[in-house]
Amino acid sequence: MSIYLDHAATTPIDARVVARMADVMASVHGNPSSTHNPGRIARGLVETARDDLAALIAGQSGQIVFTSGATEADNLALFGLMRGAPAEQRHLVTSRIEHRAILDAARQLEAEGVRVTYVDADREGRVPVSAVEAAIGPQTRAVSVMWVNNETGVIQDVMAMAAICRARGVIFHSDAAQALGHLPIRLCDTGIDLASLSAHKMGGPAGVGALWVGARAAPLLKPILFGGGQEHGWRPGTLPLHQIVGLGEASRIAAEQLAQDIAHYQAMTELLAARLSTLPSVQRNGPAELRAPHILNLAFGGVDGEALHASLPGLAISGGSACGAERGEPSYVLRSLGRDDPAAEASIRFSVGRQTTENDIELAAKIVENAVKKLRSLWSD
Amino acid sequence: MVRLIGREPYSAQVLRLFEMTPRAGRAGTGPDWATGESHEPLSATQVRAHLRVVSDQILEARYEVRGCPVTVAAAALIAERWSGRTLPDARIAPRAVLADLEASVSKLGRVLVVESAFQKALQAARTNA
Repeated sequence: MSIYLDHAATTPIDARVVARMADVMASVHGNPSSTHNPGRIARGLVETARDDLAALIAGQSGQIVFTSGATEADNLALFGLMRGAPAEQRHLVTSRIEHRAILDAARQLEAEGVRVTYVDADREGRVPVSAVEAAIGPQTRAVSVMWVNNETGVIQDVMAMAAICRARGVIFHSDAAQALGHLPIRLCDTGIDLASLSAHKMGGPAGVGALWVGARAAPLLKPILFGGGQEHGWRPGTLPLHQIVGLGEASRIAAEQLAQDIAHYQAMTELLAARLSTLPSVQRNGPAELRAPHILNLAFGGVDGEALHASLPGLAISGGSACGAERGEPSYVLRSLGRDDPAAEASIRFSVGRQTTENDIELAAKIVENAVKKLRSLWSD
Repeated sequence: MVRLIGREPYSAQVLRLFEMTPRAGRAGTGPDWATGESHEPLSATQVRAHLRVVSDQILEARYEVRGCPVTVAAAALIAERWSGRTLPDARIAPRAVLADLEASVSKLGRVLVVESAFQKALQAARTNA
Protein backbone atom coordinates (compact mmCIF):
# COMPACT_ATOMS: atom_id res chain seq x y z
CA MET A 1 0.00 0.00 0.00
CA SER A 2 1.51 3.30 -1.08
CA ILE A 3 1.17 6.69 0.51
CA TYR A 4 -0.21 8.69 -2.36
CA LEU A 5 1.56 12.03 -2.72
CA ASP A 6 1.19 12.53 -6.45
CA HIS A 7 -2.01 14.54 -6.65
CA ALA A 8 -0.49 16.93 -9.17
CA ALA A 9 -0.37 13.97 -11.56
CA THR A 10 -3.93 12.97 -10.83
CA THR A 11 -6.22 12.95 -7.82
CA PRO A 12 -8.38 10.11 -6.58
CA ILE A 13 -11.91 10.74 -7.77
CA ASP A 14 -14.01 12.14 -4.95
CA ALA A 15 -16.59 9.59 -3.79
CA ARG A 16 -19.35 12.13 -4.34
CA VAL A 17 -18.24 12.53 -7.93
CA VAL A 18 -18.19 8.77 -8.46
CA ALA A 19 -21.70 8.48 -7.05
CA ARG A 20 -23.01 11.28 -9.24
CA MET A 21 -21.38 9.86 -12.37
CA ALA A 22 -22.63 6.35 -11.62
CA ASP A 23 -26.13 7.65 -11.10
CA VAL A 24 -26.08 9.47 -14.43
CA MET A 25 -24.58 6.51 -16.28
CA ALA A 26 -27.25 4.24 -14.84
CA SER A 27 -30.22 6.47 -15.36
CA VAL A 28 -29.64 8.93 -18.20
CA HIS A 29 -29.06 7.79 -21.75
CA GLY A 30 -29.94 10.73 -23.95
CA ASN A 31 -27.59 12.54 -26.27
CA PRO A 32 -27.42 16.13 -25.06
CA SER A 33 -27.77 17.29 -28.66
CA SER A 34 -31.06 15.42 -29.17
CA THR A 35 -34.31 17.35 -28.92
CA HIS A 36 -36.40 14.57 -27.38
CA ASN A 37 -37.02 14.25 -23.68
CA PRO A 38 -34.02 12.04 -22.75
CA GLY A 39 -31.84 14.40 -24.78
CA ARG A 40 -33.23 17.41 -22.97
CA ILE A 41 -32.58 15.75 -19.61
CA ALA A 42 -29.00 15.10 -20.66
CA ARG A 43 -28.66 18.68 -21.92
CA GLY A 44 -29.89 19.95 -18.59
CA LEU A 45 -27.21 17.98 -16.78
CA VAL A 46 -24.54 19.31 -19.13
CA GLU A 47 -25.65 22.87 -18.53
CA THR A 48 -25.76 22.37 -14.77
CA ALA A 49 -22.18 21.11 -14.92
CA ARG A 50 -21.24 24.10 -17.05
CA ASP A 51 -22.80 26.41 -14.47
CA ASP A 52 -20.95 24.68 -11.64
CA LEU A 53 -17.61 25.03 -13.41
CA ALA A 54 -18.40 28.65 -14.28
CA ALA A 55 -19.17 29.36 -10.64
CA LEU A 56 -15.83 27.91 -9.56
CA ILE A 57 -13.88 30.14 -11.93
CA ALA A 58 -16.17 33.19 -11.85
CA GLY A 59 -16.73 33.01 -15.55
CA GLN A 60 -19.87 32.87 -17.61
CA SER A 61 -21.30 29.47 -18.48
CA GLY A 62 -21.46 30.34 -22.16
CA GLN A 63 -17.71 30.87 -22.21
CA ILE A 64 -16.92 27.26 -21.32
CA VAL A 65 -16.04 24.73 -24.03
CA PHE A 66 -15.84 21.17 -22.80
CA THR A 67 -12.83 19.19 -24.02
CA SER A 68 -11.17 15.89 -23.24
CA GLY A 69 -8.87 17.62 -20.78
CA ALA A 70 -6.35 20.42 -20.39
CA THR A 71 -4.06 19.07 -23.11
CA GLU A 72 -6.81 19.29 -25.68
CA ALA A 73 -7.79 22.70 -24.33
CA ASP A 74 -4.17 23.86 -24.73
CA ASN A 75 -4.12 22.54 -28.29
CA LEU A 76 -7.42 24.19 -29.11
CA ALA A 77 -6.17 27.49 -27.70
CA LEU A 78 -2.84 27.53 -29.50
CA PHE A 79 -3.75 25.94 -32.82
CA GLY A 80 -7.15 27.62 -32.81
CA LEU A 81 -5.55 31.03 -32.45
CA MET A 82 -2.40 30.62 -34.50
CA ARG A 83 -3.55 28.62 -37.49
CA GLY A 84 -6.15 31.23 -38.24
CA ALA A 85 -3.77 34.13 -37.74
CA PRO A 86 -3.03 36.48 -40.62
CA ALA A 87 0.53 36.36 -41.94
CA GLU A 88 1.54 39.48 -40.03
CA GLN A 89 0.44 37.99 -36.69
CA ARG A 90 2.09 34.62 -36.69
CA HIS A 91 4.15 35.06 -33.54
CA LEU A 92 3.57 33.23 -30.26
CA VAL A 93 5.27 33.91 -26.94
CA THR A 94 5.50 31.23 -24.29
CA SER A 95 7.96 30.09 -21.60
CA ARG A 96 10.48 27.28 -21.47
CA ILE A 97 8.89 25.77 -18.38
CA GLU A 98 5.44 25.15 -19.79
CA HIS A 99 3.79 21.75 -19.73
CA ARG A 100 4.56 19.55 -22.73
CA ALA A 101 1.03 20.16 -23.95
CA ILE A 102 2.12 23.72 -24.72
CA LEU A 103 5.74 23.11 -25.69
CA ASP A 104 4.99 20.28 -28.09
CA ALA A 105 2.12 22.26 -29.62
CA ALA A 106 4.44 25.27 -29.98
CA ARG A 107 7.04 23.13 -31.74
CA GLN A 108 4.40 21.86 -34.13
CA LEU A 109 3.33 25.44 -34.80
CA GLU A 110 6.96 26.31 -35.54
CA ALA A 111 6.99 23.49 -38.08
CA GLU A 112 3.93 25.12 -39.61
CA GLY A 113 5.69 28.47 -39.96
CA VAL A 114 4.71 30.21 -36.73
CA ARG A 115 7.51 32.10 -35.00
CA VAL A 116 7.72 31.17 -31.32
CA THR A 117 9.66 33.01 -28.61
CA TYR A 118 10.46 30.98 -25.50
CA VAL A 119 10.97 33.12 -22.40
CA ASP A 120 13.33 31.78 -19.72
CA ALA A 121 12.27 31.44 -16.11
CA ASP A 122 14.44 32.91 -13.37
CA ARG A 123 16.29 30.75 -10.81
CA GLU A 124 13.19 30.56 -8.65
CA GLY A 125 11.08 29.26 -11.50
CA ARG A 126 9.22 32.49 -12.13
CA VAL A 127 8.61 33.71 -15.65
CA PRO A 128 9.52 37.41 -15.43
CA VAL A 129 6.69 39.67 -16.52
CA SER A 130 9.25 42.06 -17.98
CA ALA A 131 10.68 39.29 -20.16
CA VAL A 132 7.24 38.43 -21.46
CA GLU A 133 6.59 42.08 -22.19
CA ALA A 134 9.93 42.41 -23.98
CA ALA A 135 9.16 39.38 -26.13
CA ILE A 136 5.89 40.85 -27.42
CA GLY A 137 6.27 42.49 -30.80
CA PRO A 138 4.02 43.93 -33.46
CA GLN A 139 3.46 40.45 -34.93
CA THR A 140 2.56 38.76 -31.65
CA ARG A 141 -0.83 37.12 -31.77
CA ALA A 142 -0.80 35.37 -28.41
CA VAL A 143 1.09 34.74 -25.19
CA SER A 144 0.71 31.47 -23.27
CA VAL A 145 2.07 31.09 -19.73
CA MET A 146 0.85 28.52 -17.24
CA TRP A 147 -0.80 29.73 -14.03
CA VAL A 148 0.85 27.24 -11.68
CA ASN A 149 3.89 25.22 -12.67
CA ASN A 150 3.07 21.54 -12.40
CA GLU A 151 6.53 20.58 -11.10
CA THR A 152 7.49 23.37 -8.72
CA GLY A 153 4.08 24.77 -7.86
CA VAL A 154 5.31 28.29 -8.61
CA ILE A 155 2.46 30.71 -9.25
CA GLN A 156 3.16 32.91 -12.25
CA ASP A 157 2.02 36.50 -12.30
CA VAL A 158 -0.56 35.82 -14.98
CA MET A 159 -2.67 38.85 -14.05
CA ALA A 160 0.19 41.22 -14.84
CA MET A 161 0.97 39.37 -18.05
CA ALA A 162 -2.68 39.43 -19.06
CA ALA A 163 -2.87 43.17 -18.41
CA ILE A 164 0.16 43.81 -20.59
CA CYS A 165 -1.24 41.62 -23.34
CA ARG A 166 -4.55 43.43 -23.20
CA ALA A 167 -2.80 46.79 -23.50
CA ARG A 168 -0.82 45.53 -26.49
CA GLY A 169 -3.78 43.92 -28.23
CA VAL A 170 -2.42 40.41 -27.72
CA ILE A 171 -4.45 37.37 -26.59
CA PHE A 172 -3.32 35.82 -23.31
CA HIS A 173 -3.80 32.11 -22.65
CA SER A 174 -3.00 30.27 -19.43
CA ASP A 175 -2.92 26.57 -18.67
CA ALA A 176 -4.71 26.61 -15.33
CA ALA A 177 -4.81 22.84 -14.79
CA GLN A 178 -2.86 23.03 -11.50
CA ALA A 179 -4.55 26.23 -10.38
CA LEU A 180 -8.13 25.00 -10.63
CA GLY A 181 -9.34 23.82 -7.25
CA HIS A 182 -6.10 24.92 -5.61
CA LEU A 183 -6.27 28.69 -5.87
CA PRO A 184 -9.18 31.12 -5.89
CA ILE A 185 -9.78 31.85 -9.56
CA ARG A 186 -11.90 34.71 -10.84
CA LEU A 187 -11.41 34.68 -14.57
CA CYS A 188 -13.78 37.59 -15.08
CA ASP A 189 -11.38 39.81 -13.09
CA THR A 190 -8.07 38.68 -14.51
CA GLY A 191 -7.87 39.91 -18.08
CA ILE A 192 -7.02 36.38 -19.15
CA ASP A 193 -8.56 35.54 -22.52
CA LEU A 194 -8.27 31.76 -22.59
CA ALA A 195 -7.76 29.27 -19.76
CA SER A 196 -7.27 25.50 -19.93
CA LEU A 197 -8.95 23.50 -17.19
CA SER A 198 -8.90 19.87 -16.10
CA ALA A 199 -11.18 17.74 -13.93
CA HIS A 200 -8.80 15.05 -12.73
CA LYS A 201 -6.50 17.38 -10.82
CA MET A 202 -9.32 18.30 -8.44
CA GLY A 203 -11.17 15.10 -7.65
CA GLY A 204 -12.93 14.74 -10.98
CA PRO A 205 -12.53 12.07 -13.64
CA ALA A 206 -9.71 11.96 -16.19
CA GLY A 207 -10.72 12.53 -19.78
CA VAL A 208 -12.65 15.74 -19.38
CA GLY A 209 -11.71 19.37 -19.07
CA ALA A 210 -12.55 22.69 -20.62
CA LEU A 211 -11.27 25.72 -22.38
CA TRP A 212 -12.62 28.97 -21.01
CA VAL A 213 -12.97 31.41 -23.89
CA GLY A 214 -13.19 35.08 -23.03
CA ALA A 215 -14.93 37.64 -25.17
CA ARG A 216 -11.77 39.01 -26.81
CA ALA A 217 -10.53 35.58 -27.86
CA ALA A 218 -13.83 34.20 -29.11
CA PRO A 219 -13.87 35.87 -32.55
CA LEU A 220 -10.26 34.80 -33.19
CA LEU A 221 -10.50 31.17 -32.09
CA LYS A 222 -10.97 28.64 -34.89
CA PRO A 223 -11.90 24.97 -34.37
CA ILE A 224 -9.23 22.34 -34.83
CA LEU A 225 -11.65 19.41 -34.98
CA PHE A 226 -14.56 19.10 -37.38
CA GLY A 227 -17.64 16.97 -37.40
CA GLY A 228 -20.51 18.69 -35.64
CA GLY A 229 -21.66 21.92 -34.16
CA GLN A 230 -21.30 21.10 -30.47
CA GLU A 231 -19.69 23.54 -28.08
CA HIS A 232 -20.24 26.56 -30.33
CA GLY A 233 -18.56 24.64 -33.14
CA TRP A 234 -15.22 24.74 -31.32
CA ARG A 235 -15.33 21.19 -30.09
CA PRO A 236 -17.46 18.89 -32.19
CA GLY A 237 -18.42 15.40 -31.06
CA THR A 238 -21.04 13.88 -28.82
CA LEU A 239 -20.65 15.28 -25.34
CA PRO A 240 -19.48 12.68 -22.79
CA LEU A 241 -22.33 13.22 -20.38
CA HIS A 242 -21.07 11.29 -17.36
CA GLN A 243 -17.60 12.84 -17.67
CA ILE A 244 -19.02 16.33 -17.86
CA VAL A 245 -21.31 15.65 -14.92
CA GLY A 246 -18.22 14.44 -13.03
CA LEU A 247 -16.40 17.67 -13.85
CA GLY A 248 -19.41 19.67 -12.74
CA GLU A 249 -19.71 17.82 -9.46
CA ALA A 250 -15.98 18.15 -8.79
CA SER A 251 -16.30 21.88 -9.48
CA ARG A 252 -19.27 22.22 -7.15
CA ILE A 253 -17.39 20.45 -4.36
CA ALA A 254 -14.22 22.46 -4.98
CA ALA A 255 -16.16 25.74 -4.86
CA GLU A 256 -17.91 24.68 -1.68
CA GLN A 257 -14.74 23.81 0.24
CA LEU A 258 -11.99 25.74 -1.54
CA ALA A 259 -10.82 27.70 1.48
CA GLN A 260 -10.79 24.57 3.62
CA ASP A 261 -8.94 22.61 0.92
CA ILE A 262 -6.31 25.30 0.46
CA ALA A 263 -5.68 25.49 4.20
CA HIS A 264 -5.35 21.70 4.33
CA TYR A 265 -2.94 21.52 1.36
CA GLN A 266 -0.86 24.32 2.82
CA ALA A 267 -0.68 22.66 6.23
CA MET A 268 0.32 19.31 4.73
CA THR A 269 3.10 20.65 2.47
CA GLU A 270 4.43 22.91 5.23
CA LEU A 271 4.53 20.00 7.65
CA LEU A 272 6.41 17.89 5.13
CA ALA A 273 8.84 20.71 4.36
CA ALA A 274 9.45 21.23 8.08
CA ARG A 275 10.07 17.53 8.69
CA LEU A 276 12.46 17.14 5.76
CA SER A 277 14.29 20.39 6.42
CA THR A 278 15.95 18.67 9.36
CA LEU A 279 18.02 16.75 6.81
CA PRO A 280 21.14 18.55 5.61
CA SER A 281 21.50 19.52 1.93
CA VAL A 282 17.82 19.65 1.12
CA GLN A 283 16.83 22.50 -1.16
CA ARG A 284 13.44 23.66 -2.22
CA ASN A 285 12.98 23.82 -5.97
CA GLY A 286 11.17 27.10 -6.31
CA PRO A 287 10.29 29.68 -3.69
CA ALA A 288 8.57 29.02 -0.38
CA GLU A 289 6.13 31.84 -1.09
CA LEU A 290 3.93 32.39 -4.12
CA ARG A 291 3.51 28.71 -4.80
CA ALA A 292 0.42 26.59 -5.09
CA PRO A 293 -0.41 25.07 -1.70
CA HIS A 294 -0.48 21.43 -2.86
CA ILE A 295 2.98 21.10 -4.41
CA LEU A 296 6.35 20.83 -2.69
CA ASN A 297 9.43 20.07 -4.76
CA LEU A 298 12.67 19.27 -2.95
CA ALA A 299 16.18 18.47 -4.16
CA PHE A 300 18.19 16.05 -2.03
CA GLY A 301 21.93 16.62 -2.26
CA GLY A 302 24.47 13.83 -2.01
CA VAL A 303 22.28 11.04 -3.33
CA ASP A 304 21.73 9.52 -6.73
CA GLY A 305 18.28 10.37 -8.02
CA GLU A 306 17.47 6.95 -9.41
CA ALA A 307 18.62 5.28 -6.20
CA LEU A 308 16.53 7.70 -4.18
CA HIS A 309 13.38 6.98 -6.14
CA ALA A 310 14.09 3.25 -6.05
CA SER A 311 14.43 3.48 -2.27
CA LEU A 312 10.89 4.80 -1.89
CA PRO A 313 8.62 2.03 -3.17
CA GLY A 314 6.14 2.82 -0.41
CA LEU A 315 5.58 6.32 -1.70
CA ALA A 316 3.67 7.32 -4.79
CA ILE A 317 5.66 10.41 -5.71
CA SER A 318 7.05 11.92 -8.85
CA GLY A 319 10.50 13.04 -9.97
CA GLY A 320 9.17 15.79 -12.14
CA SER A 321 5.93 15.73 -14.02
CA ALA A 322 4.26 12.38 -14.43
CA CYS A 323 4.06 13.18 -18.11
CA GLY A 324 7.87 13.52 -18.24
CA ALA A 325 8.62 10.45 -16.13
CA GLU A 326 7.87 8.10 -19.01
CA ARG A 327 10.74 9.55 -21.01
CA GLY A 328 13.20 9.01 -18.16
CA GLU A 329 14.86 12.37 -18.69
CA PRO A 330 15.81 14.82 -15.95
CA SER A 331 13.17 17.51 -15.59
CA TYR A 332 13.61 20.37 -18.06
CA VAL A 333 11.78 22.60 -15.60
CA LEU A 334 14.30 21.95 -12.83
CA ARG A 335 17.20 22.29 -15.26
CA SER A 336 15.83 25.69 -16.23
CA LEU A 337 16.07 26.65 -12.55
CA GLY A 338 19.79 26.01 -12.79
CA ARG A 339 19.82 22.49 -11.37
CA ASP A 340 22.30 20.17 -13.06
CA ASP A 341 21.10 16.75 -14.19
CA PRO A 342 22.07 14.82 -11.02
CA ALA A 343 20.37 17.45 -8.82
CA ALA A 344 17.28 17.48 -11.02
CA GLU A 345 17.13 13.69 -10.85
CA ALA A 346 17.54 13.71 -7.08
CA SER A 347 14.44 15.87 -6.71
CA ILE A 348 11.03 14.77 -5.57
CA ARG A 349 7.73 16.45 -6.28
CA PHE A 350 5.35 15.80 -3.41
CA SER A 351 1.78 16.83 -4.08
CA VAL A 352 -0.96 16.46 -1.53
CA GLY A 353 -4.70 16.18 -1.78
CA ARG A 354 -7.90 16.22 0.17
CA GLN A 355 -7.34 12.68 1.45
CA THR A 356 -3.77 13.30 2.63
CA THR A 357 -3.52 13.02 6.40
CA GLU A 358 -0.99 14.26 8.90
CA ASN A 359 -0.14 10.63 9.53
CA ASP A 360 0.62 10.16 5.81
CA ILE A 361 2.98 13.11 5.95
CA GLU A 362 4.76 11.95 9.11
CA LEU A 363 5.19 8.48 7.67
CA ALA A 364 6.33 9.77 4.28
CA ALA A 365 8.86 12.11 5.91
CA LYS A 366 10.27 9.22 7.92
CA ILE A 367 10.52 6.99 4.83
CA VAL A 368 12.31 9.69 2.85
CA GLU A 369 14.59 10.56 5.74
CA ASN A 370 15.63 6.93 6.22
CA ALA A 371 16.24 6.44 2.50
CA VAL A 372 18.34 9.59 2.18
CA LYS A 373 20.36 8.75 5.29
CA LYS A 374 21.01 5.22 4.08
CA LEU A 375 22.09 6.33 0.62
CA ARG A 376 24.34 9.02 2.06
CA SER A 377 25.90 6.49 4.44
CA LEU A 378 27.14 4.53 1.43
CA TRP A 379 29.54 7.30 0.46
CA SER A 380 31.95 9.45 2.44
CA ASP A 381 33.26 12.70 0.98
CA MET B 1 11.73 -11.77 -11.75
CA VAL B 2 11.74 -8.08 -12.50
CA ARG B 3 9.94 -5.50 -10.37
CA LEU B 4 9.11 -2.11 -11.78
CA ILE B 5 10.07 0.84 -9.61
CA GLY B 6 9.59 4.20 -11.20
CA ARG B 7 10.85 4.06 -14.73
CA GLU B 8 13.57 1.43 -14.20
CA PRO B 9 12.96 -2.27 -14.00
CA TYR B 10 15.16 -4.05 -11.48
CA SER B 11 15.78 -7.76 -11.10
CA ALA B 12 15.39 -9.53 -7.78
CA GLN B 13 19.19 -9.78 -7.59
CA VAL B 14 19.63 -6.02 -8.03
CA LEU B 15 16.94 -5.31 -5.47
CA ARG B 16 18.48 -7.68 -2.93
CA LEU B 17 21.94 -6.20 -3.26
CA PHE B 18 20.67 -2.62 -3.40
CA GLU B 19 18.50 -3.04 -0.34
CA MET B 20 20.93 -5.12 1.74
CA THR B 21 24.19 -3.51 0.52
CA PRO B 22 26.32 -6.41 1.78
CA ARG B 23 29.97 -5.53 2.43
CA ALA B 24 29.38 -1.80 2.08
CA GLY B 25 31.74 0.29 4.15
CA ARG B 26 34.97 2.15 4.40
CA ALA B 27 38.45 0.63 4.52
CA GLY B 28 39.70 -0.61 7.82
CA THR B 29 42.82 0.79 9.36
CA GLY B 30 46.21 -0.70 8.69
CA PRO B 31 48.63 -1.20 5.83
CA ASP B 32 46.79 -4.26 4.47
CA TRP B 33 44.09 -2.11 2.91
CA ALA B 34 44.28 -0.83 -0.66
CA THR B 35 41.81 1.58 -2.20
CA GLY B 36 40.80 2.48 -5.75
CA GLU B 37 38.34 5.14 -6.80
CA SER B 38 36.49 5.95 -9.98
CA HIS B 39 33.78 8.36 -10.99
CA GLU B 40 31.70 9.39 -13.94
CA PRO B 41 30.87 13.08 -13.76
CA LEU B 42 27.82 13.22 -16.03
CA SER B 43 25.73 10.98 -13.81
CA ALA B 44 27.75 11.90 -10.68
CA THR B 45 28.42 8.20 -10.11
CA GLN B 46 31.22 7.58 -7.62
CA VAL B 47 32.68 4.29 -6.49
CA ARG B 48 35.48 3.57 -4.04
CA ALA B 49 36.70 -0.01 -3.65
CA HIS B 50 38.67 -1.21 -0.64
CA LEU B 51 40.59 -4.50 -0.51
CA ARG B 52 42.32 -6.02 2.47
CA VAL B 53 45.05 -8.17 0.99
CA VAL B 54 47.42 -10.43 2.87
CA SER B 55 49.85 -12.76 1.14
CA ASP B 56 48.22 -12.45 -2.26
CA GLN B 57 44.80 -13.19 -0.88
CA ILE B 58 41.86 -10.78 -0.65
CA LEU B 59 40.67 -11.30 2.90
CA GLU B 60 37.95 -8.72 2.58
CA ALA B 61 36.46 -6.44 -0.08
CA ARG B 62 34.37 -3.38 0.73
CA TYR B 63 33.00 -0.47 -1.24
CA GLU B 64 31.57 2.98 -0.97
CA VAL B 65 29.21 4.11 -3.67
CA ARG B 66 27.00 6.93 -4.83
CA GLY B 67 25.05 5.72 -7.79
CA CYS B 68 21.97 4.05 -9.17
CA PRO B 69 20.69 0.71 -7.85
CA VAL B 70 22.56 -1.25 -10.52
CA THR B 71 25.81 0.52 -9.59
CA VAL B 72 25.29 -0.32 -5.93
CA ALA B 73 24.38 -3.90 -6.78
CA ALA B 74 27.40 -4.32 -9.05
CA ALA B 75 29.75 -3.07 -6.33
CA ALA B 76 28.15 -5.40 -3.79
CA LEU B 77 28.32 -8.36 -6.18
CA ILE B 78 32.00 -7.87 -6.92
CA ALA B 79 32.82 -7.32 -3.25
CA GLU B 80 31.04 -10.57 -2.38
CA ARG B 81 32.86 -12.51 -5.10
CA TRP B 82 36.31 -11.10 -4.49
CA SER B 83 36.33 -11.64 -0.76
CA GLY B 84 38.48 -14.73 -0.21
CA ARG B 85 39.95 -14.87 -3.69
CA THR B 86 43.62 -14.70 -4.56
CA LEU B 87 44.83 -11.71 -6.53
CA PRO B 88 45.28 -13.64 -9.79
CA ASP B 89 41.71 -14.93 -9.47
CA ALA B 90 40.23 -11.49 -8.94
CA ARG B 91 38.77 -10.64 -12.33
CA ILE B 92 35.71 -8.81 -13.53
CA ALA B 93 33.85 -9.24 -16.80
CA PRO B 94 31.47 -6.24 -16.88
CA ARG B 95 29.05 -7.84 -19.32
CA ALA B 96 28.92 -10.95 -17.16
CA VAL B 97 28.16 -8.76 -14.13
CA LEU B 98 25.32 -7.16 -16.08
CA ALA B 99 24.02 -10.59 -17.01
CA ASP B 100 24.24 -11.85 -13.43
CA LEU B 101 22.30 -8.80 -12.29
CA GLU B 102 19.82 -9.18 -15.15
CA ALA B 103 20.43 -5.50 -15.81
CA SER B 104 19.93 -3.60 -19.02
CA VAL B 105 22.92 -3.03 -21.27
CA SER B 106 22.22 0.68 -20.84
CA LYS B 107 23.78 0.24 -17.41
CA LEU B 108 27.11 -0.99 -18.80
CA GLY B 109 28.68 2.44 -18.26
CA ARG B 110 27.84 2.34 -14.57
CA VAL B 111 29.28 -1.17 -14.21
CA LEU B 112 32.46 0.02 -15.90
CA VAL B 113 32.83 2.70 -13.20
CA VAL B 114 32.56 -0.05 -10.58
CA GLU B 115 35.02 -2.23 -12.44
CA SER B 116 37.48 0.65 -12.72
CA ALA B 117 37.40 1.30 -8.96
CA PHE B 118 38.01 -2.37 -8.12
CA GLN B 119 40.78 -2.66 -10.72
CA LYS B 120 42.50 0.39 -9.25
CA ALA B 121 42.22 -1.09 -5.78
CA LEU B 122 43.68 -4.33 -7.10
CA GLN B 123 46.54 -2.43 -8.68
CA ALA B 124 47.16 -0.58 -5.42
CA ALA B 125 47.18 -3.88 -3.54
CA ARG B 126 49.76 -5.32 -5.94
CA THR B 127 51.91 -2.22 -5.53
CA ASN B 128 51.67 -2.53 -1.75
CA ALA B 129 52.75 -6.15 -1.98
